[in-house]
Amino acid sequence: MIKSSVTISTLGHAILLAWGLVSFSAKPFDSATAESLPVDVISSSEFSQMTAGVKTAPMAEAPKPLVEKVAPHPKPVKDTTAKISEKPEIEAAKADAPPPAPQVKPQPEQKPPEEKKPDEIAEALKTEVVKPPPAPKKPPPPKLDMSKIENKLALLDKREQRRSAAIGETLNATPTLGAATGQSATLSQNEIDALRGRLRDCWDVPVGVADARDLFVVVRIQFKRGGDLDNEPIITNRLSHPAFQVAAESVLRAVRKCAPYTFMPAAKYDVWKDIEVKFDPREMFRG
Amino acid sequence: MRDDHFSVQRSGFSRRGLLLGGMAAGVYAGLRPRDAMAQLRIPDITSGNVQPIPVAIPDFLAGSPNEGDVPRNISGIITNNLRRSGLFIPIDQQAFIEKIANFDNNPRFPDWRQINAQGLVTGRVTRQQDGRLKVEFRLWDVFGGTQLHGQQFFTTPDYWRRIAHIISDAIYERLTGEKGYFDSRVVFVDETGNKAQRIKRLALMDQDGANVRYLTRGQDLVLTPRFSPATQEITYMSYGQGDPRVYILNTETGQREIVGNFPGMTFAPRFSPDGQRVVMSLQQGSNANIFVMDLRSKATTRLTDTPAIDTSPSFSPDGARICFESDRGGKPQIYVMAATGGPAQRITFGEGTFSTPVWSPRGDAIAFTKQGGGKFAIGVIKPDGSGERILTEGFHNEGPTFAPNGRVLMFFRDPGGEGGPSLYSIDLTGRNEQRVQTPSYASDPAWSPLLV
Repeated sequence: MIKSSVTISTLGHAILLAWGLVSFSAKPFDSATAESLPVDVISSSEFSQMTAGVKTAPMAEAPKPLVEKVAPHPKPVKDTTAKISEKPEIEAAKADAPPPAPQVKPQPEQKPPEEKKPDEIAEALKTEVVKPPPAPKKPPPPKLDMSKIENKLALLDKREQRRSAAIGETLNATPTLGAATGQSATLSQNEIDALRGRLRDCWDVPVGVADARDLFVVVRIQFKRGGDLDNEPIITNRLSHPAFQVAAESVLRAVRKCAPYTFMPAAKYDVWKDIEVKFDPREMFRG
Repeated sequence: MRDDHFSVQRSGFSRRGLLLGGMAAGVYAGLRPRDAMAQLRIPDITSGNVQPIPVAIPDFLAGSPNEGDVPRNISGIITNNLRRSGLFIPIDQQAFIEKIANFDNNPRFPDWRQINAQGLVTGRVTRQQDGRLKVEFRLWDVFGGTQLHGQQFFTTPDYWRRIAHIISDAIYERLTGEKGYFDSRVVFVDETGNKAQRIKRLALMDQDGANVRYLTRGQDLVLTPRFSPATQEITYMSYGQGDPRVYILNTETGQREIVGNFPGMTFAPRFSPDGQRVVMSLQQGSNANIFVMDLRSKATTRLTDTPAIDTSPSFSPDGARICFESDRGGKPQIYVMAATGGPAQRITFGEGTFSTPVWSPRGDAIAFTKQGGGKFAIGVIKPDGSGERILTEGFHNEGPTFAPNGRVLMFFRDPGGEGGPSLYSIDLTGRNEQRVQTPSYASDPAWSPLLV
């Protein structure tokens, strides 16, 4: 009697605990991920080291263009001419020709039709069910007897050389702003805001554009090292909106008018040398 | 042997396929990495400045020595139009560095960038052998160093003013993304004489106040002229000896006809957007209801049937709805109903009374006169009753009318006292208010559509 109550009690507690484990597992609070503001603490000596020039250094002719990426040592490429396959083909060990499927024996039901039962459909269904042929017996895998192989070259893999397409030098070449977990060298929020603020101040929005809904312009801006425009800015979207051309011209005017962008951090030139930004007057709709 | 031949052929084919594929891949590779590799996408820019665009308008050049003042007058009118719109700042000619000497050459853009001009308008006027005038103009994007627009016109010399307005519209549209309104006219009631014995005449002028001409002689009292949105016709109310009547006047032919033959007083007429119908009020006893009349068939339809005064009807630009003023709720307020009549929805609820509603040609706003606290204000409200805004307020402001592009309103203001009313324009922001010059006192303006 006591034993059974103890069992029930234990069982009950166990269930309660288990239920608690499941239901009380707190859901992590979803907080909006803000972009990080990197703060570096450097000593004054470090700072002077960073900014100091060398008086004895030879005069530089012209700044060399930066390469996109500095490779420490070029990785040996195995065979670039090799065909790219999505996945290496998997070839199953070939078995000998499977034994011929056993022939379906003539069924004994093959009787004169008049003897058939009235339920013809059921019969018809029955007869259609053909038993699958028994799986062919696999012969025992051939044992590799090295001594029997006369020509060892036969062991070489004679398939064409392949490399897998999924493997590359880098996983993703697109630099990110590094949302919450930004690890790459990025512009800080302040630097981005400085650029955005400058563009916003330079953008005189034509009234027909300010009032339009669903009208936006995406522009690609390429910079030189000092903040000058490297190329003419390029509009990369196209809308059929009647005021689109006027909007696009106003954006180009803004980008040109603002140049040069001397405030951009020279050290992070690689990050901002080529940017794309969307001009969307959505906050300007007339009340 | 034949097998070989076939296999060769097939391999050739597949090679071509490979080549094609390779080409495609090459094109893809050539485009893709540049786009994707090093591009940084920064967050959207969601606002900018709405400030007047600085434009430089040097005097138009004379194509031959005997053009007189016409070239300078044309650029003067363009300058004046653009300045009055409030959306442009014409730069003072004193500041110009380059003197445009040849219309066919590119201007020196750095010189114009220096004085911060964003647009540059150059032009030339040449009298032709046959006596006509050739007017050419170019609009330059100073920062882009390109020509944005260029046109030439041939016209009789009398029409130089219209050409200037048409060029103003082209510049306006090219730089703001919106249709202009300069090539349009305004009909208004010209008032002369002392306060007790005003003579009221219908008058027509260009939107900038030029070219005033009178359409009636002043024996009868005229009120509430309205332009047809589709034709150069005006409907208005007039009364001399008998009851007030609604008339239609063709501004080109001077032909005048009475609208309908009703037993009572008809007033507050307005055209439908297609110009084929007139909607108006008809007084019956102590109340007034709204009727619409087809101008061709003369068929009349009653739209409201209340024991209140329903008046000042105005069609929406799509012709589907009508806004009007009614005191069915006690005080005059603005209501919206279907153009076929039926139940009406009240859209104004503020303090005071609301009257003379007029629907914007853009369809997104209704302008009104608001009276309250001893003041008259001109305001706008959205057709659903939200977003009420007062644009200007004072002792007496009344009778708003929209410019063809719906961005500017004209109204009349009476300062009180011994003086009389005069016309003013104001843009939708309420910031750019301008007096419109008229020969004498003026009231009840109504804007025409673009002349085309």
